Amino acid sequence: MHRPDFIALAPLLILALSAAAVMLAIALRRNHLSAMGLSLTGLGAALTALPLMARYTPRTVTPLLIMDHFALFYTGLILAATAVVIVLSYDYFSQKDDLPEEAYLLLLLAALGAVILVCARHVAALFLGLEILSVSLYALIAYTRDRNISIEAGIKYLVLAAVSAAFLLFGAALIYAHTGALDFQQLGALLKAEPSGRPALILLAGLGFLVVAVGFKLALTPFHMWTPDIYQGAPAPVTAFVATVSKGAMAALLVRLFTPTDLPHWPALYLFFTAMAAASMAAGNLLALLQTNVKRLLAYSSIAHMGYLLAALLFSGQKAAVVMTFYLTVYVVSILGCFGIIAILSSKERDADTCQDLQGLFFRRPLLTGVFTTMLLSLAGIPLTAGFIGKFYVVSAGVENAHWFLVIILVVFSGVGLFYYLRVIIAMFSPSLDEGLVPSPALPALSAPVVLTLTFLSTLVLWLGVWPSWFLATLEKMLG
Amino acid sequence: MELLWLIPAWPLLGFLILTCLAARLPRIMAGSVGVGSVGAAALTALLMAWDFLKHQPGRNAFTQHLWTWLDVAGLHLEIAFYLDALTLVMIIVITGVGFFIHLYSLGYMAHDQGYTRFFAYMNLFVAAMLVLVLADNLPLLYLGWEGVGLCSYLLIGFWYTDPANGYAARKAFVVTRVGDTAMAVGLFVLYNQLGTLQIQEVMQRAAAAWPAGSTMALLTALLLLGGAVGKSAQLPLQTWLPDAMAGPTPVSALIHAATMVTAGVYLIARTHGLFLLAPTALTITAVIGAATLLLAGFSALVQQDIKRVLAYSTISQLGYMFLALGVGAWSAAIFHLFTHAFFKALLFLGAGAVIHALGGEQDMSRMGGLKQKLPLTFWTFLAGAASLAALPLVTAGFYSKDLIIWQAFASPRGGLGFWFMAVAGALLTALYTFRMVLLTFTGPARTPVHHPPGLVMRLPLLVLAFLSLTAGFLETPHSLGHMRVFSGWLHTCLPEAGLAAGREAYEILFELLAGLAALCGIFGALRLYHPLAKSRYSLPESLRQYWIKGWGFDSLYDRLVVRPYIHLAQFNKNDFLDLFFVFLAWLAKTGHQTLAATQNGRLRSYAWGLGLGAAAIAAMVVLL
Amino acid sequence: MTAQPPVDTPLWPLVLYCAIVMILAAFIVILSAFLGQRHRERTTNEPYESGIAPTGSARIRFDIKFYLSAMFFVLFDLEAVFIFAWADAARPLGWTGYIEILIFIAVLLLALFYLWRVGALDWRVEKHRRSKRQVTKVN
Repeated sequence: MHRPDFIALAPLLILALSAAAVMLAIALRRNHLSAMGLSLTGLGAALTALPLMARYTPRTVTPLLIMDHFALFYTGLILAATAVVIVLSYDYFSQKDDLPEEAYLLLLLAALGAVILVCARHVAALFLGLEILSVSLYALIAYTRDRNISIEAGIKYLVLAAVSAAFLLFGAALIYAHTGALDFQQLGALLKAEPSGRPALILLAGLGFLVVAVGFKLALTPFHMWTPDIYQGAPAPVTAFVATVSKGAMAALLVRLFTPTDLPHWPALYLFFTAMAAASMAAGNLLALLQTNVKRLLAYSSIAHMGYLLAALLFSGQKAAVVMTFYLTVYVVSILGCFGIIAILSSKERDADTCQDLQGLFFRRPLLTGVFTTMLLSLAGIPLTAGFIGKFYVVSAGVENAHWFLVIILVVFSGVGLFYYLRVIIAMFSPSLDEGLVPSPALPALSAPVVLTLTFLSTLVLWLGVWPSWFLATLEKMLG
Repeated sequence: MELLWLIPAWPLLGFLILTCLAARLPRIMAGSVGVGSVGAAALTALLMAWDFLKHQPGRNAFTQHLWTWLDVAGLHLEIAFYLDALTLVMIIVITGVGFFIHLYSLGYMAHDQGYTRFFAYMNLFVAAMLVLVLADNLPLLYLGWEGVGLCSYLLIGFWYTDPANGYAARKAFVVTRVGDTAMAVGLFVLYNQLGTLQIQEVMQRAAAAWPAGSTMALLTALLLLGGAVGKSAQLPLQTWLPDAMAGPTPVSALIHAATMVTAGVYLIARTHGLFLLAPTALTITAVIGAATLLLAGFSALVQQDIKRVLAYSTISQLGYMFLALGVGAWSAAIFHLFTHAFFKALLFLGAGAVIHALGGEQDMSRMGGLKQKLPLTFWTFLAGAASLAALPLVTAGFYSKDLIIWQAFASPRGGLGFWFMAVAGALLTALYTFRMVLLTFTGPARTPVHHPPGLVMRLPLLVLAFLSLTAGFLETPHSLGHMRVFSGWLHTCLPEAGLAAGREAYEILFELLAGLAALCGIFGALRLYHPLAKSRYSLPESLRQYWIKGWGFDSLYDRLVVRPYIHLAQFNKNDFLDLFFVFLAWLAKTGHQTLAATQNGRLRSYAWGLGLGAAAIAAMVVLL
Repeated sequence: MTAQPPVDTPLWPLVLYCAIVMILAAFIVILSAFLGQRHRERTTNEPYESGIAPTGSARIRFDIKFYLSAMFFVLFDLEAVFIFAWADAARPLGWTGYIEILIFIAVLLLALFYLWRVGALDWRVEKHRRSKRQVTKVN
């Protein structure tokens, strides 16, 4: 370990340190504001460290981690998303009086796990990151422990994540048994060297089981079934975290694992990926169709979005990293906005996640409605929002490489998807049925940081939707 | 000259302010914005006129290019304004009369709920109307054309709580839309054939490409005529205008008398080059105009609602203008448009003052005796009525109508037939006009007066009455001083109507006959309808009902078009083309229900899902 | 390391061996069922034939503290394994390793401090703790 190594690892070190600091602060004196402030400071420091370490990249630090531009970008994305979640959490948890401080500690640790995932260059690092992330998430999902639904979600996630981790380990063991390597680069080289046609069964099975674990984390069909229950049960900011950071880190890993390998070279895997992508798009959109709980609806929608993302991986070959990263960034921003709104509207007892809660929101909270509408339109892929550009790039990559089957599935089910996004929007713009009969719930006052954050997010969505070229050029420079 | 764009921009700005601030604006502010914007436009228009007269621009027209609207595949459209003598007349009428009507509305609408909304719509209307007349190309003109149609719809249905008003608004919209569609098709044909939509270029290219009397010229001219007929409520699309009286009276004055309904006349005058290539189309125009003026005149004679009398009278006077256009008396048509705007607006505003005073009463049989109670309204109304009835020598209406009647005979396209219809129309006009005056203002009072008109309502009446009497001196016949200011000016952009050989000699005779017809009408009205008149002649009841209903056009259209259409719609209520989409929706719903059954919330089935997925991978690995 | 198994090792002896083990085990169990003596008394089927008869259900609620303590034990005990591993290789790892293990122990101590402060090690239930606090306030 040399000095540049430490500098290259700065974000991880800072995150770990700030987690320890938050724990110490809680132990010394419990204070919600200071816990939040300390966490944000840590994230800010880690973010500012990114441009400083850019000089030392790409750099392999220990056999486990690699800090390249790819890792740098995703680390930034994860840190920023976590910061947004923390800002949202403060208002959300401060109305729930007991012990909100540990949430920040867990969020920081989970972010640390996610960062390790995106920097991983070895299966061991992958497992390490995945477990740090998952274990923190178990506790976070069940954090509102006075709600039965949260506890249930936590336990479901615990069991299923453990099962998927077992698959991961088993897959890694099989791969190791066949190749004797766990290093991604070495693995890639060995995979390339495999004779095409029928590669060794053990190797393929190992890769397949690895895909099970990845598919579980990304909630790709048929590993998607946990999503709605967990999304619904977890407190809204934590749901936002699960949907963005956890999935984003895993998607990044997917890109890192499979962009170097020539997928069509492996018919079994290729077919399975295609089937998963198509099934996710279909199942996600169909399941969301008549859903009235907005959190569940967004869960199903996220299944569909991960399907689009996987399709992008299959479509775009060498350019996959850029296309997927753009899509993922847009998705993260939009989802953060959506759950941010839900978090703001939530009360002490329950989250405001049904369509009734949103009924007539426009007449009470026009600003929030505007933000929510922007985000939903972006998720639906309506022009002038970033979501449209993202989807457009995916589809154009598909058309370019003549992947007609997936392109058709994508287009058809995007059309189906429009229905449920618009349903939520319509609910917000139609006056409540019981207006005047039941006194509408007192809305919590909006705090300035939350409003600023949401405004920033929606500006970002519109900006990327209208003028995406700058961001795309940057991505291509960094990842291309 | 460079400030031309400001003229439509002022009322548009007013509209934007009024809609954006709507409820937050205090009443007084809303009113002053509404009136002020049109006033500013009127001042700008006057400035423009002065400037235009002072420096005659080259080729007698001035074009202002603002920006490119679209530029695709050879279609180059600009937002550009074109100002020549014709346009200038139109904008002065629109902004001038518009300003006084807005001013009047301050008083008339003072106690209305939708005060701000009213001025917003009115401002938007003025803006759209100005765009219509200023447009340099046909699509921009069409934009204004549809814009005024929209405002007309909004303002007819202004008091939307009464379903009848909504119905009238819809009717106006749909009926004019028939004409608009013809016009749109006309634009497509023009573009398809000539490759341009810039009005002056269209006329040049048409003249170069099509010989006079060619089918193409006839077709496009007839399609444009269709649009004009719809907008100007001429036969056979005249049925909407009487119902359009459901709107507030200032709306009737501005839109359905002074400006919007004259858009058809303007359109034909503007594209006269095209019509000159199609003599048949001109003849049809003249026939339509002559027929309409008589039909509407008879209907006006029997109406009981004061506003409906004025509505039919408007249709009739527009018929005169069409007749003039048809016989090639372009400047006469525009001159009548000019004077008609003043006296018809005046009559509507006067009628509005009466209705306002009587608390919303519109039935003339319940009016009467208002001469003493509303003296100012009476005298100004009388001035307007005299002008409408073309009382010789002292009124504007006389000079303009007389010009048309004379040219209906004297023009190379005219003839005795047209002349005779025009004179008969003049007689009818005088008759129904003074019937209206007498029923309204003389005899015993039948309804008490509530609100006598205030200052803001009186001032426009006075100004318009003055103009109704004097505006005619701009253009007088040979026998009466031979002033040619108006036509001399208009002939910078419109061709002069020639005289058929050997007809000049009859001018004095024919003028005397026309004047006599008007006097006869007035006299007849005095004999028949004056409270002191002894003889009471009443029409056969069935004929009277027939005329009241506007010659039964409504029921005819109802039978011919509306009912078959409704039957057809009902027949295909469950649109069979929809079945496919219903099937798609069913498919999606079924898919949803099937999949939703798997989300049962049980951990073990979720774990099963995971396991099965892994098994599927394993199976694929082994099998492939 | 390559995973090429030696080709000449036959698999059947292993299978045969497994089969023999299975058969033998089954044979012994079945045989004892036939040959063994059996007696049915009043207390035969009770656990602790010679002890006290159990009362109540085995599924009772335990205080969460038991689980907490158990978990803390497992956690800290497991961490100790790393320290043993370091101790075994302390010399070759040198100062770097020493500093690393110091950091590790510091984190552990920090966690212990945290647990102590949040009252996880406090055996009393919330009610007792409150009454204690009130008493001190009164004093």
